Amino acid sequence: MRLTIYIVRRLLFAFLLMVGVSLIIFFLVNAVGDPIELMMAETPGVSAETIERMKVHYGLDQDPLTRYFIWLGKLLSLDFGTSIIYNQPVGSLIATWGWQTFKIQVPAILIALAIAIFVGTTAARRQHSRTDFAVMSGALLGQSLPAFFLGILLILIFSYTFDVLPSYGAYSTRGYLWGSVVADGLWHMVLPVAMLAFFNTATLTLLMRSNMVDVLKLDFIAAARASGIPERRVVYRHALRVAVIPVLTYLGLLVGLMLGTAPVTETVFTWPGLGYLYVTAIHQLDYPIIMGASMVIAAMLIAATTLTDIAYVLIDPRIRLE
Amino acid sequence: MHQANISRPITDPLTTSPSSIASAGLSRAPLSTGERAQVGGLVSAGEATEPLVHVDNLRIHFPPRRAPIRVVEGVSYSVARGETLGIVGESGSGKTLSSLAILRLLPRPAQIAGGRIVFEGEDLAAKSDEEMRRLRGKRIAMVFQNPGFSLHPLMTIGAQLSEILAVHERLARKDADARVEELLRLVGISDPGARIRQYPHELSGGMKQRVCIARALLCNPSLVLADEPTTSLDVTIQAQILELFEELKARFRMSMIFVTHDMGVVARIADRIAVMYAGQICETADASTIFSDPQHPYTRALLGSTPRVDQRSTRASGFRLPTIGGSGPTIMQQGDGCRFATRCPEAGPECARLAPLPLAVGPRHIVHCLKRGSAGEANHA
Ligand SMILES: Nc1ncnc2c1ncn2[C@@H]1O[C@H](COP(=O)(O)OP(=O)(O)OP(=O)(O)O)[C@@H](O)[C@H]1O
Ligand code: SF4
Ligand SMILES: [Mg+2]
Repeated sequence: MRLTIYIVRRLLFAFLLMVGVSLIIFFLVNAVGDPIELMMAETPGVSAETIERMKVHYGLDQDPLTRYFIWLGKLLSLDFGTSIIYNQPVGSLIATWGWQTFKIQVPAILIALAIAIFVGTTAARRQHSRTDFAVMSGALLGQSLPAFFLGILLILIFSYTFDVLPSYGAYSTRGYLWGSVVADGLWHMVLPVAMLAFFNTATLTLLMRSNMVDVLKLDFIAAARASGIPERRVVYRHALRVAVIPVLTYLGLLVGLMLGTAPVTETVFTWPGLGYLYVTAIHQLDYPIIMGASMVIAAMLIAATTLTDIAYVLIDPRIRLE
Repeated sequence: MHQANISRPITDPLTTSPSSIASAGLSRAPLSTGERAQVGGLVSAGEATEPLVHVDNLRIHFPPRRAPIRVVEGVSYSVARGETLGIVGESGSGKTLSSLAILRLLPRPAQIAGGRIVFEGEDLAAKSDEEMRRLRGKRIAMVFQNPGFSLHPLMTIGAQLSEILAVHERLARKDADARVEELLRLVGISDPGARIRQYPHELSGGMKQRVCIARALLCNPSLVLADEPTTSLDVTIQAQILELFEELKARFRMSMIFVTHDMGVVARIADRIAVMYAGQICETADASTIFSDPQHPYTRALLGSTPRVDQRSTRASGFRLPTIGGSGPTIMQQGDGCRFATRCPEAGPECARLAPLPLAVGPRHIVHCLKRGSAGEANHA
């Protein structure tokens, strides 16, 4: 029961957070200035009447607070407005471009998690060995390498020099690989996913290793060994369960970090994802997209941390009762 | 199978002398192997026949190899079937490491640098890792010092205990659950059916230690290593856990190595006592002899500052080892002589140079002290 109460409370908190975020986004964007005037400033010769008509068209003649509530009401019915540049509903734009982001981020995180668990655990089991040293140095190096730098390196090697992997877009513009859309899509995912996975793996491996080193020293591990439980089981069942908790917590943060860096990473590969959409929208002052995408990214961040918190409680029964 | 062992008829150790068993055997038809084994177990409880476990000149070192830290240096003892050996010594004297060495579970980088451990007639060093694993928890089990840390925090009590059964015995799930509950009841846990669904943090310290004891007894081991099982508990809980050990000992005649630094505790539970100082054994004797006729200066110092242990006080005294003159043992800077020399009131000039060898000063009473007639050895390593 306490668990249910906790979850309800946590969801309520997430909702309040979203409301706060929406306020900030709305009034921050508003503070930049009147979008129509900003846009028209670059196109001289537009009459004041036209500008006035456009303001009425976009509802910009009303006072900010009314506009905020209108905007919020539309948001609740998932109406994000219409993009000025694309002349398309922002909601469907976010959905299609967001799916492309999801397509590379989720596999990258899952691959990184799997590698980190295995490699980090192996290194921890042989603390101070050569293997451990190699893992540590590799991970530290990987961590200090900026993601976009690695991306450019990958493009140089695999696209430019050897020309085996595409570095541009989510699909081929002419003729799919082996004539299959699926194969072509996967082929285009390789480099972006590799870059994101590499970046995540380094951090997660270091975290996994240090947790594992600590957990393997605990008494209940010695007790499990003293009970004759096979070593693999001791490590991968008993120790891992405890050592992975901080890693999972970090995963919530990582999702945020990945979304935050998506504009950069997607620009490197000209990947038609949410981050790329965001960057182009900012360049062209497409307000509905900027506000809609900001709201979606904030919602995803808050969802990630909320889910992490809830998962954390589900995994660890000690917290359940507090 | 296990049922038979748990509820096997308990022969009162006080009324059944070895001779009465022997005569009973004579008047009957030749014993089956099983019967012989059981009678053998009972006989050796009173006599020093083939010991259950024999530790001979055990040495444990920490690297560096060229100048190792010799944390355990030449420890020898035996435990007969049905007997409890109490190992007493200050913190850091190497009690835990020498117990873990029996299981071949020394924490890295500690290594067994010499000596032999013979368990049920087999040299444990000769066993493969897999053979050792199958022995742990099944034939030799351990109870750790701090029950708060020695149970998995994220697994239910039932899951932890039945996993061990699954590893060692082929039991149907229902039978395994029944056995777990049976053992929990045996160690004094009420309503075991509900407890198995609980997590360690839902139990009190004393309860947790009972669970750990049940875990050790799950597969009916022939030897239980209890490493300061009462030290981390409240005084009243200490007394209860100690009582439980006494009860189990009397009921199953289990063999035990009971490590503690509390003379009051060891007085209650041990048949024989080995006193350890800085990685070496000072004196080994039957419990009554240690209290009535302590020979080693360190034993005497311990007893001198232990109130009323000579009366074998029934109170589980909660205090740690008494403060005796000088600072605690520093294993790091051990020279060649007697390790107790820096604090020994009787130390002479030879003590700093010569390491005392064991000398039997009485029946089953071994002392390592130059001033008690032990020969000295110039270079122990
Ligand atoms: N990694 C290590 N390197 C060097 N020395 C160590 C290491 N680990 C333990 N020791 C030393 O080994 C000695 C024996 O340790 P052990 O844990 O067996 O003592 P103990 O008698 O069980 O003490 P306590 O009563 O505190 O449990 C201690 O003096 C300790 O300092
Ligand atoms: S050998 Fe010497 S120093 Fe050691 S206990 Fe005996 S008298 Fe004391
Ligand atoms: Mg210890």
